Amino acid sequence: MRKCLRFLASTKFTLLGMGLLAVGAALSYDNPVDTPVWVLVVPMAILAVNLLAAIVSNARINRRGGLLVFHISLLGIVILAAIGRLTHMVAHIEMVDGDTFAIEELQNVRRGPWHSGELEKVIFIQGPYTVDYAPGMVRGPTRSQVLVPDGQGGWERRVVGDDKPLILEGYRFYTTFNKGFAAVLTWMPDGAMPVTGTVHMPSYPLFDFRQTNRWTPPDGDEIRFWLQLETGLTPDEAWTLDPRQAEGTLVVKVGEHRVELAPGEAVRLPGGALRYERLSSWMGYKLFYDPTLQWLFIVAVVGVLGLSAHFWNKYATHPWPQASSALDKELEVANAGGGKSL
Amino acid sequence: MNGEEVFTELPWFYTGLAAYMLATLLAVYGVVRARSGPAGAAVTRTYESAVLLLITAGVLLLTISLAVRWLRIGHGPFVNLFELLISQLFSLGLVYAIAYWRLPVIRPTAVVVMPVLLLMGAWVLMIEPVDSAYPPTYYNKWLWAHVGFGKFFLAFCLVGAGLAGIILMRGIQRLAPFFRSLPPDKVLDHLAWRFMILALIFDSLMLIAGAVWAQDAWGRYWAWDALETSSFLNWLFIGAALHARLTYRIPIRVGALAIIGIFVFAFFTYFGTPFVSEAAHKGVI
Ligand code: HEM
Repeated sequence: MRKCLRFLASTKFTLLGMGLLAVGAALSYDNPVDTPVWVLVVPMAILAVNLLAAIVSNARINRRGGLLVFHISLLGIVILAAIGRLTHMVAHIEMVDGDTFAIEELQNVRRGPWHSGELEKVIFIQGPYTVDYAPGMVRGPTRSQVLVPDGQGGWERRVVGDDKPLILEGYRFYTTFNKGFAAVLTWMPDGAMPVTGTVHMPSYPLFDFRQTNRWTPPDGDEIRFWLQLETGLTPDEAWTLDPRQAEGTLVVKVGEHRVELAPGEAVRLPGGALRYERLSSWMGYKLFYDPTLQWLFIVAVVGVLGLSAHFWNKYATHPWPQASSALDKELEVANAGGGKSL
Repeated sequence: MNGEEVFTELPWFYTGLAAYMLATLLAVYGVVRARSGPAGAAVTRTYESAVLLLITAGVLLLTISLAVRWLRIGHGPFVNLFELLISQLFSLGLVYAIAYWRLPVIRPTAVVVMPVLLLMGAWVLMIEPVDSAYPPTYYNKWLWAHVGFGKFFLAFCLVGAGLAGIILMRGIQRLAPFFRSLPPDKVLDHLAWRFMILALIFDSLMLIAGAVWAQDAWGRYWAWDALETSSFLNWLFIGAALHARLTYRIPIRVGALAIIGIFVFAFFTYFGTPFVSEAAHKGVI
C-alpha cells in the first residue's frame, strides 16, 4: 500500500501531468467548444491523484505548512471547478420592457447534471434601458433598469449593466451587446379572444439595416414585419440609444398586401385584425449560475498566501546577496593598492 | 486622433526613451570597462550610479507622458498596443530601477534588461499612436489588481531573464571576462529563480484577479480564450520548471534557458496574443 502510494506520489508524474495539461490547454486554445473536454480532464485527474498521494505520503510537502496549504488549494481548485461544471447553468434571455422574468423564455440553456438552484424563486421585471455610444459607434456603458421585490411587498429599482450583473438567488444576469426593439401587437382573430404579444426585431444598432421579422397567426397567412426606426443614431458623434425616445413605424406585409402602421393603428388581414399597440424594447441577458464562485476565490487566495509564506520562511534564512563578493574583493585590493576609492 | 494633441505626450515619451538608451549605452560601457582589471571594477560602480539615475529619469519622463495622455483622452493606458507598451516600459523600468538600486549584485544585468526595453521602445515608434476608446467593462476595479499584479509578474520575469542572460553569456568564453566581477553562476542561478518564484506568486495573483474581472465583465471566470490559455500555460511552465529543478539535477545553463523561454513566452502573451487572436479578450468588446 505504502509502496503504491509512493509510486503514485512521484514528482515525475507531476511533470508528466503538467506536460499533458499543457498539451490539453494548447488544444483548447481559443476553441474550447470544439475540443473534447477530456484533453483537460485526464491530465487534471492524473495531477489530482498524484497530488493527493504526495500530500498523504511526502513529508517534503506535508511537513511544510505553506507549501501544504498551496498544494491543497491546487487540489481544491480542481475539485471546485469540477463541482462547478456539474452544478452550473448558463442561458440567454431577451426581456421586453415591462415583462416579468419567466423560465420558459430562456434560450440556449446548458446546465450540469447536478444543477439544483432555485431559479423558480427568481422574480424581476424588466424596465427601460440606455446604451451610450462614443463617436464611431463604439459602445459605452449600458444601464438597464429592473424592478426586484424589496421583501416588504413592494418593488426596488436597480440599475445593472456591463460588469454589474443582477444577482438573484445566486443567478447572475449580465446585460449583453444583444438588445433591440420590439413591436407590441394585438392579434384579434375572427370569432376568438384577442391576444397581445411582442415581435422582437434583430439586435440594434448592429442590424440597423435589417429590422425585420415574421409571424404566422394560427389559421392565418405568414405576416412579414419591417420596423422603420427613428432613433437619432449619429455614427460620427456621441449618441445614446434610448428606446423611450425612439419612434417606429411598422410595415406589415402579407403576400403582396403592404401597409404602414403608426402606434395604435390596426389593419385587417386574412383571419383577423392586427393592431400595432406601441414600440417597445428588449434587453438580452446572459444568465450564469455557479455555486462554487466564492469558494474558488477564497481557496485560490489562501493558496497564494500559503505559497508566499513558504518562500518567506525558506528565504528568511538566506538573505538576498547584497553585493558581489568577487567585486568587493577586487575593490578591497584596488583600494589597498591606492586605487580609485568609491 | 488629432496629430497636434498627441504631440503633447510624445516628446515626453521620446525623451524618456532617450534616457533609457543612454542608460543602456552606459551600462554596456561599464561592463566593457569592467574587463580591464581591478580599477575597471571601480569604474563599473561609478557608472552604475549614472545608469540608475538615467533609468529613473526615463521612468519619470514616461510617467509624465502617460499622465498627459491620460488627462487628454480621459482614461488610463490599458487598451491598445501603443498604450500597453508605454505603460510596460514605465512599470518594467520602475521595478527594475528599484531592484537595481536595492540589489547591487544584479546591476550588470542592465546589459540584457535595457536592450529589451529599448526593443519595446522601438516597437512603440513604429505604431500609430491612435487614441483608444474605453470599453465599458474597463471601469471595473479588478482591472487595477489584474494589471498591477501582471506588471510585477513581467518585471520579475525580466530580472530573472537578465540574470539568466548573464549566466548564458558567461558560458561563451569570449564574453566571460566581462562578467568576472559577478558572483559564481550558482549564486546567480539561485537569485534568478528567486525572481521567478516572485513572478509565480504575482502571476497567480494576476490570474485570480483576471478571473474575477472576467466573471464581472463577460459572465464567466474562465473560458480558455487565447489570452487566458496563454497566461495559464505561462503559469504552468514556471511551476513545471520549479518542479523539474526539484526532481532532476538540471544544469544551470539549461535552467537559464528555461527562464529566458518563460520570459519570451510571457512577452508574447502580453504583446502578441491580444492583438493577433480574434478572441473576446482583445480588450475592445
Ligand atoms: C499536481 C501535482 C503536484 C505534486 C504531486 C506536487 C508535489 C510537490 C512536492 C513534493 C514539492 C516539494 C518538493 C521538495 O521540496 O523537494 C513541491 C513543491 C512545489 N510545488 Fe508542487 N506539486 C504539484 C503541483 C504543483 C503545481 C501545479 C505547481 C504550480 C504551478 C506547484 C508548485 C510548487 C512549488 C512552487 C513548490 C516549491 C518549490 C520550492 O520550494 O523551491 N506544484 N510540489
